Amino acid sequence: MARSTVSAPHARPNVLKLVPTTSQPAPAEFSTLLRGEAAAISAWSTEWNARRFASHLVIIFLGAGCYGAAMGGWRDPQQALFVAIKFPLIILLTTLGNALINGMLAPLLGLNIPFRQSFSAVVMGFAITSAILGAFSPLTAFMVWNAPPMTAQAVSLPVYNLIKLAHVGIIMFAGIVGNARLFQLLVQLSGGHVLASRVLLAWLSGNLFLGAQLSWILRPFIGSPELPVQFLRDGALHGNFYENVFNSLTHIF
Amino acid sequence: MNENNPVPPLISQTDAAQRLADKPNPPLAISPSGPRPLGDDPAERVPIAHAFAAIEALLRQPRRLLFQLRQPGAGKLIVGMLFVAFFCAAVYGVVAGTFSGGTQLWAAPVKIALGLFISAAICLPSLYIFTCLSGAQSRLAEVCGLLAGLLMLMTILLVGFAPVAWIFSQSTNYIGWMGFLHLAFWLVATLFGVRFMKNGFSHAQAKSQAGVNVWIIIFLLVAVQMTTALRPIIGKSDTFFPTEKKFFLGHWFDTLREASENNGTAHRY
Repeated sequence: MARSTVSAPHARPNVLKLVPTTSQPAPAEFSTLLRGEAAAISAWSTEWNARRFASHLVIIFLGAGCYGAAMGGWRDPQQALFVAIKFPLIILLTTLGNALINGMLAPLLGLNIPFRQSFSAVVMGFAITSAILGAFSPLTAFMVWNAPPMTAQAVSLPVYNLIKLAHVGIIMFAGIVGNARLFQLLVQLSGGHVLASRVLLAWLSGNLFLGAQLSWILRPFIGSPELPVQFLRDGALHGNFYENVFNSLTHIF
Repeated sequence: MNENNPVPPLISQTDAAQRLADKPNPPLAISPSGPRPLGDDPAERVPIAHAFAAIEALLRQPRRLLFQLRQPGAGKLIVGMLFVAFFCAAVYGVVAGTFSGGTQLWAAPVKIALGLFISAAICLPSLYIFTCLSGAQSRLAEVCGLLAGLLMLMTILLVGFAPVAWIFSQSTNYIGWMGFLHLAFWLVATLFGVRFMKNGFSHAQAKSQAGVNVWIIIFLLVAVQMTTALRPIIGKSDTFFPTEKKFFLGHWFDTLREASENNGTAHRY
């Protein structure tokens, strides 16, 4: 069923235009999302569509879940299952935990979009990131499969650092692309780069701040050969990411 | 909040026009030089009926709220805004109290909400004086309205930060860190609140913003001292009020020193 709607009803007048929001099949919408077709994605964000929202959640669970499985698979199959659950959970909890403040910051910084639209935009950004992670998961799995079994000895080898660096690089790449797409959407909604940058920076700061702590609580991910396979470490809620960084810095200096 | 913010069509133009037709038009708050006069958009002249509409207006249509605060009979709106601010401060206080639990679950909200309102009450006379000294054409009711707007925006932003604060409350024992986090959230929320208030004063034909800037520093100092005067807010204590008087800087240094001596787990603030 084809229909048309006005994109971004609360956007600046200079970006108001009619955008056809044809209800596409899910794979077509998926490629539209990945291509970052700002006009179409902007129109999606203005209207609530439960099916589309569910499809974004599925992308997050599948993409981040597959990558998590590949990441934890080096330690143990059970660890792979745990990380496959925990990775998407971090994304969803970060989105939910910051939903309120992100929804408030957008209009306060000058982008007058409804709460639902800001939430939907952040979910779409994470869906793109998760899709990229999902695409990298076979490569990661292959890399891990080629690595020697995770033993105390293997951890001291360069391969351990190589795998860690590969994870950092892939997650960073996925995060950058996801946020670049989110930025394009914000530019479309706000009609200007300055405002879009401001909102993106505010959202990104909050998401990184909370996301880092949630990752800390839900550790381990890669796992350690000397420690048992666990969903959460004993005392997961003792201490926080930033204290740990601070303590590490004080030990160094 | 942005002066150039587009006004979202929260209320249809026909609805707004119908409501306006039913009651006489309030006068425009005109400032001949400076920002666009308040009320030049019909949507800004639509009355704010209840507290939820005030929250919505504060976030998305601050000019509408500023215009309504200048109208006769704005007292009801101001009372509603103060009620929202008190409620939101109490909600954030409960979250802050979860760090220690027990009696702090009720003591922290009481102290945060009361502390905020006492700080505002202490600073209100100086705000009015500074406003008048700067040449602004503002009545006391308008100044009260802007202060209520500052408190409401601050506290609803704190409620927005509450889930993050709760997660950290549950995952650390280090009181210095929690104190820093709450102060950081409070500071961000206050900066947005202050921006709203300055936006309001920019329509009052003030010759200078210097007086308001000085008042902002005073307000910040009073509020941080209030957290020390009403301690403990995050940690535990045998007494509701402190038995020793301190300035906030001295108290912060003492807390950090105690925390490091007790391996970072001191429960007193």
